[in-house]
Amino acid sequence: MTKFTVNDRPVHYRMDPDTPLLWALRDASNLTGTKYGCGTGDCGACTVDIDGEAVRSCQVTIGKTEGRFVTTIEALSPDRGHPLQQAFAAENVSQCGYCIPGVIMAASVLLRRTSDPSDEQIDAAITNICRCGIYPRLRGAIQRAGRIMRGEEQIAAAPPPGITPEEAARTVPALGHPGAQPKR
Amino acid sequence: MGRAPRQLATGRKGIDRRSLLVGGGGAAGLLIAWGLWPRNYRPNLKAGPDETVFNAFLKIDRSGQVIVVVPQTEMGQGVTTLLPQIVADELGADWRTVAVQSAPVSPLYANTLLAKEWLESDWTRLFGAAGDWALDQYATRSALMLTGGGTSVAMFHDACRDAGAAARVLLCKAAAARWDVPWESCDIQDGLITDGADRRMKIGEVASDGVNFDLPTIFPYRQGQDGRLSGQDLPRLDTPSKIDGSHNFAADIRLPGMVFASIRQGPIGDAILAGLDERAPASVTGFLKLIKRDRWVAAVASNWWAANRALDLADPVFTLRGRPVDSEGIDGALEAAFSGGAGKRLYAQGDLLPVFEKATILASEYQVDAGLHLALEPPCATARVTGEGAEVWMATQAPGLARDAIADALGLSADAVTLYPLHAGGSFGRAMDWDAGVQAALLSQEMGRPVQLLWSRAEDVIQDRPSAPAKARMAAKLGRNGAIEGWLAKVAAPCAMTQTWGRIADRKSPAQAAADAAGTSTRLAVAGVALPYAVPNWAIDHYPADVGLALGFAPGNARLHGAFFTECFIDELAYLAKVEALSFRIQMLGGNPRLARCLSTAAAMGGWQGGIEGSGQGIAAHMGGGAYGAVMVEAEMAGEGINVTRIVAAIDAGDAVNPDILRQQVERGLIYGLAYATGASVPYAKGLPARAIMGRMGLPRLADVGEVTVELIRSTAAPVGVVDVAAPLVAPAIANALFTWTGQRLRSLPLGSMA
Repeated sequence: MTKFTVNDRPVHYRMDPDTPLLWALRDASNLTGTKYGCGTGDCGACTVDIDGEAVRSCQVTIGKTEGRFVTTIEALSPDRGHPLQQAFAAENVSQCGYCIPGVIMAASVLLRRTSDPSDEQIDAAITNICRCGIYPRLRGAIQRAGRIMRGEEQIAAAPPPGITPEEAARTVPALGHPGAQPKR
Repeated sequence: MGRAPRQLATGRKGIDRRSLLVGGGGAAGLLIAWGLWPRNYRPNLKAGPDETVFNAFLKIDRSGQVIVVVPQTEMGQGVTTLLPQIVADELGADWRTVAVQSAPVSPLYANTLLAKEWLESDWTRLFGAAGDWALDQYATRSALMLTGGGTSVAMFHDACRDAGAAARVLLCKAAAARWDVPWESCDIQDGLITDGADRRMKIGEVASDGVNFDLPTIFPYRQGQDGRLSGQDLPRLDTPSKIDGSHNFAADIRLPGMVFASIRQGPIGDAILAGLDERAPASVTGFLKLIKRDRWVAAVASNWWAANRALDLADPVFTLRGRPVDSEGIDGALEAAFSGGAGKRLYAQGDLLPVFEKATILASEYQVDAGLHLALEPPCATARVTGEGAEVWMATQAPGLARDAIADALGLSADAVTLYPLHAGGSFGRAMDWDAGVQAALLSQEMGRPVQLLWSRAEDVIQDRPSAPAKARMAAKLGRNGAIEGWLAKVAAPCAMTQTWGRIADRKSPAQAAADAAGTSTRLAVAGVALPYAVPNWAIDHYPADVGLALGFAPGNARLHGAFFTECFIDELAYLAKVEALSFRIQMLGGNPRLARCLSTAAAMGGWQGGIEGSGQGIAAHMGGGAYGAVMVEAEMAGEGINVTRIVAAIDAGDAVNPDILRQQVERGLIYGLAYATGASVPYAKGLPARAIMGRMGLPRLADVGEVTVELIRSTAAPVGVVDVAAPLVAPAIANALFTWTGQRLRSLPLGSMA
């Protein structure tokens, strides 16, 4: 059986039960924030949260996921408001961005356990591969997210999605009233 | 622009900015071009109903949104923020109103700077002194859009600045006409036009008027530092979509009716598909079709895993023509190149012969393995081919060449192919090749529906186009005072850049391109070997080779091996001369204060102890493309492995547009260089890499990366990219550090895996 919960919604995948979870998420659910990088569990680009654990989704089949709760980057927050997302923006962490969803998902599981992780705890939890070299900024960004979670710091580094032109015009003096927008 | 011989240059005479103003119809508004572009190159930008095209780099819409058109490929290096920041700074925009759009293929966006670096020696050979000019013309006319070699900011800085300045003048003129004041008294700040007194107007209000005014002959550039965007750590424009999983890479495109494909292209070399089990894939749920070509087979299915599984079951067999590549063969080919006939002296200064004659010569041999890209995103493209034409979504560093190759493969005209340039998941030069785009298009044509082709990681490792393996024979003569009197570097290496051009522009097969490039020596293969130090007599020889691998673009290209050879050998000489390694370098840098400053800064910040025994400290310097850098590392042997505990880099890359992005670029280069130093390569046997698992490539993870400090040296020079200088610095610095730890010189890369 291949019935479980993805981002708080019940799903039944009509796919081979041996299909790795990664490909059900990407190709059936179109949750493309979870990335394919190696298929061997090494790179961590496909990391998702399953029942509170950080799991390489290329290494677990949908048959074995039966009955479990899967959370992907798309449901981590509705508005990029998760402390990790804000801290990653504030610390200018992402470069190409391909590894970022997996790194953020792995870090979110770590921070749920301990919001004040040591460098060693971070190194042990974040075994993802990044080729661009975000590493020098990573420990600091995760610790900063921890401070936000603990209420010691507040930041608003990245805007939420879906701001209307009217809302934008109210905040930014340079923006005028938009003309009739074509429907999207 | 290249200097043209007089008789060829007459065509340019009389063309100035004014006469290049090109009127456009409807929403396109008035279009301007500048520099020396012929009259017939008009921006081919599409404009929305509320948008006004100001020029090839800039649109402004009625509500005040500033849309900057970026011809360069974002691979993580930040170019989709840097170029817009230059335009927005000169325009006077509010950064929150700036958006980015990828440029369509057009001569207006040709990267003549990289084209020149890449092709200069060939063209000079063919056309003599006219080569430079002809190359410039060729690159422009063939819309040679290229990203690579750290050229993006250097190439487009002035054009972006002009684009912003031109739009500011036009907007000011439009506002001034409404206010009935002289336009020279107007200015734009934060997206608001002011009349120099109290009146304010949003730029969107006059955007469509602006283009009805004339440009002055000389653009007034923005003066002063108040309220400037340039030089600020502005937030990257690609950050929001990259932290919430919404950014669409090529594999994230979803189209109605789209199906998924995986591919097998056989072993490395001239491989032809010989056979496969056609029936086995039928057992895979969701499998749709096997599609065969001479050199590959793809499986198409309703999800990618099923497609890839179908290929596993089909178990295709290939016939390999020629000798299968293996590590011994690569080594042998490089060794044999030294005695081959194609070797040539490419640099010579002073006279080495009398210096070396009957003298005690110090000599060392070095070598590096081919370096794999292992970008986290494997090659991928999504294509929709219909009766009307083709659309291809892909990340490509050469969009014009990619589009033309796709059109030819499909039997369509270039106009019938629309290429949507996407961000690359790292690339590091890998996306210079366009194979995946052509393959996806052919698959979509055959399937009659949209197809997304994704290479498996194993396929990526087998078919990577790594940086070149190389060997060097270094020799030098030290004078009595410890100065280098003579220096000779003989380098045997295939030229990865020449091969790449053969594949992507001349459409040669990888094996053919590798074979053809082996006949000619070129400075491209020994970049980074040229000494930044003042040595009276020195020479560099290049011995080209075909090692049986198809090689490609990488950060730093030949500098990756060049800097390793040079900076390690300098260290050896310093040790033999009994001069401390930092002063040894700096005493030869009297004429190169920028590099000397980098060295002394890195040493001071890192707490350089003089490279004494047991310190675990090593230093290296490198320059190129207008950037200068030095690195000090602290490293130790831990059991069999290497532990790099600290990296301190001092970089001078000119007047940074966005210092924090420049810092990111340095970090990008350093981590790529760290991986190159300790891994990111495989042995080869029987035409295949000995392993293709990402976890066994010796790539650094977070726990392997200690303290990294980046110091940017303040400079007023023109800004340039820096990844290509940072990456080559790491390996020699680590090798030099390990010598103080072990007393043994490590002269080959990779040095060994991470502890």
